[in-house]
Amino acid sequence: MSILRVEHLSKTYRLRREPVPVLRDLALSVERGEWLAVLGSSGSGKSTLLHLLGGLDRPDKTNDHGMPPIIEFEQRRLDGLSQAALDRYRSRDVGFVFQFYHLVPELTVLENVLLGPMIRRGRFAYAAHRKEARDRASGLLEAVGLSHRLGHRPAELSGGERQRVAIARALINEPKLLLADEPTGNLDRATGQKILDAVAGLRAQHELTMVMVTHDPVLASRADRVVTLEAGRLREPEPAA
Amino acid sequence: MYQALLTRRYLFSKIMPLLAAVAVALCCAMVLIVWSVMGGFLAMLIGSGRTLTGDVAVTWPTAGFAYYDELIERLEADPMIEAAAPMIETFGVIALPSGRTETVIVRGVEGATYARVTDFERTLYWVPMERPMPKDREGEDWRLRSHEAWDMHREHGLALAEPGDDGVPRPAVVPGIAVAEANIRRAWGGFVPGAAVVTGPDGSTRFLDRAFFNDEVTLYVAPQDDQGRVRDMVARVFPVANEFQSGLYEIDRRVVLAELGAIQAMLGMNEGRRLREPSVFDPFAIEEDPETGAEAIRPPAEFVRDPARVTTVLIRGVGDGRDPRPLAQRVREIYRGFAADHAGMVPPEGEGLGTILIQTWEDQNRTLIEAVKKETALVLILFSIISFTAVFLVLAIFWAMVSEKTRDIGILRSIGASRAGVAWLWLRYGAAIGLIGTLLGMGIAFAVILNINEIHDLIGAVGALFGMNTVIWDPSVYYFARIPTEIVPWKVAVVFTGGLLSSVVGALIPAIRAAWMHPVRALGFE
Repeated sequence: MSILRVEHLSKTYRLRREPVPVLRDLALSVERGEWLAVLGSSGSGKSTLLHLLGGLDRPDKTNDHGMPPIIEFEQRRLDGLSQAALDRYRSRDVGFVFQFYHLVPELTVLENVLLGPMIRRGRFAYAAHRKEARDRASGLLEAVGLSHRLGHRPAELSGGERQRVAIARALINEPKLLLADEPTGNLDRATGQKILDAVAGLRAQHELTMVMVTHDPVLASRADRVVTLEAGRLREPEPAA
Repeated sequence: MYQALLTRRYLFSKIMPLLAAVAVALCCAMVLIVWSVMGGFLAMLIGSGRTLTGDVAVTWPTAGFAYYDELIERLEADPMIEAAAPMIETFGVIALPSGRTETVIVRGVEGATYARVTDFERTLYWVPMERPMPKDREGEDWRLRSHEAWDMHREHGLALAEPGDDGVPRPAVVPGIAVAEANIRRAWGGFVPGAAVVTGPDGSTRFLDRAFFNDEVTLYVAPQDDQGRVRDMVARVFPVANEFQSGLYEIDRRVVLAELGAIQAMLGMNEGRRLREPSVFDPFAIEEDPETGAEAIRPPAEFVRDPARVTTVLIRGVGDGRDPRPLAQRVREIYRGFAADHAGMVPPEGEGLGTILIQTWEDQNRTLIEAVKKETALVLILFSIISFTAVFLVLAIFWAMVSEKTRDIGILRSIGASRAGVAWLWLRYGAAIGLIGTLLGMGIAFAVILNINEIHDLIGAVGALFGMNTVIWDPSVYYFARIPTEIVPWKVAVVFTGGLLSSVVGALIPAIRAAWMHPVRALGFE
């Protein structure tokens, strides 16, 4: 059963009033628990697709044929949601992992991970479940091998360590969908493999559905399914003869 | 919750927001200091007036009014009134031992009753002191020694009388401490007798071997006749029993207190008998000339009692810190009854010309007090406008901070923070800056206000080192010898709230900007 379904998805940016189409009439379906890799070259629209799936951006109102887009998550339409509803969706159902980690530099490792529960629960509910949140955060950080770095700031970590913090942050609210945008793009190959190992382990542990965008076919081959994004359109690979 | 965490972390991670806090602090301190000094000036002006004139005055200038003792009796019977005292106020000239003459305001009072209505006893300067003044580290103050002598001066000052060589009390004067300029003001704030050498008109000098308060002066006043015409000046020598210091320079420079009876006698306002034509003409009143035996219709003259008069009755109400206006109204009612009982003999009560003046100290000095109030309001408005620059400073700094933290905003939005949550983060941050700045400003203000005179003295001392006259607060210009201040809780609350609000208002536009940032663009911000 698909957890995520997309149809007629288009996205056009305007650069100096000139329209720049990035995604054209895209259709996609992701099964629950599936690891989907979206392969594409730089500028192909991979990140844009992820942002639309995660509710960080909104698609064009219609595609070239006048058809409105459909973005469905667990049979819920995301394309018509209010901003507040999209904020809740990102807070509860989605975890983001970015290429450049995007950690808050003033916060410690543990605090960066705890941002998620703080945002999701609000002041009073978080205060009531503070210990539970801290235990969960510590557990995730231990799972990614950072239990000894809880009080350190991001500037004191290596690239791989920062990405592992980002992964823990993405999983703290027990999302159903993990969206990873070139999670190893800023790391060397060996570190990148370790990161993917960590992600794969956690995915299995938490029964996550994951959509990962990458330009590296080797990394993409680790996924359950690979699709290619070219000129704004998705292409499924040719079945092996 | 995350807003509190990030506010704490952002506060001390950058120097720029702390500079905004300093700006808020300086603006708050500036407004509070100015408000405190001007408010203190106004409060001291109003309070000092009461020091030597009580709460309310009933006045009929120059000619004065009679039966004042009865009026005083009626006033003191009222539960709103604690005490009342008679006074004559007139212009005079004082001839000082140094040979100088000064025009002065002469107030003839009864020492004991005057002390009940005013703070006269507290203002007497030459009295024994147990402890030196705070800055008199060398113990220079004469009043610390020879307490018996100062006790005697205090008694004489209160009584406005000194025993003569024959032991009989003579009426005396108590001038303001700055009338004779015979005392030297020391750095510790008090006076020591000085000006031991005087120069005569021929250029010769002589030594004054007596302190002013042990000397004598000649007081000249100008009585008036029945028609209100000024007669020749009347002079009398008075011993100086003591000096007073009200704290109000103009009073200390111009006023001389004298014994009431002596002033009444000099002005012809004491009780006496005089010949008066009868008020009713009896045509059948035939008078026979004892020498010629001729009969004639001649209304006989008669001796009548001319009661003593004073120009003013001073009144003190019950309790401290009271509003004198209800008291003035009550005094008016009492006087109305008094005037009705002595119709034609005392000035009537009412409004307008020809009626008795019943005024509070504020009424008497309304022009000055209103001017000070308006000046206070104007200065506060101007300084508040200047302080508004803090709003724009906070706005500019927060605008820059939002730009710097754009990626953080994108991160927060990507993990589900709402626009309102992001806006609240920046408003909270602005409020935190405002709170720090305002508290710092309060601290600076209190430190200055509580030590303002010491700071002023230090500025003067430093300026003197460089040959500059940096005495900012000249007592001769500003009425008071010391810079007055007051700390009023509601004013502190207003400045505190204003400082806090200005910072929040300054953060408002940056907060809205942060909230409406596109999260994708924010994440990609370099």
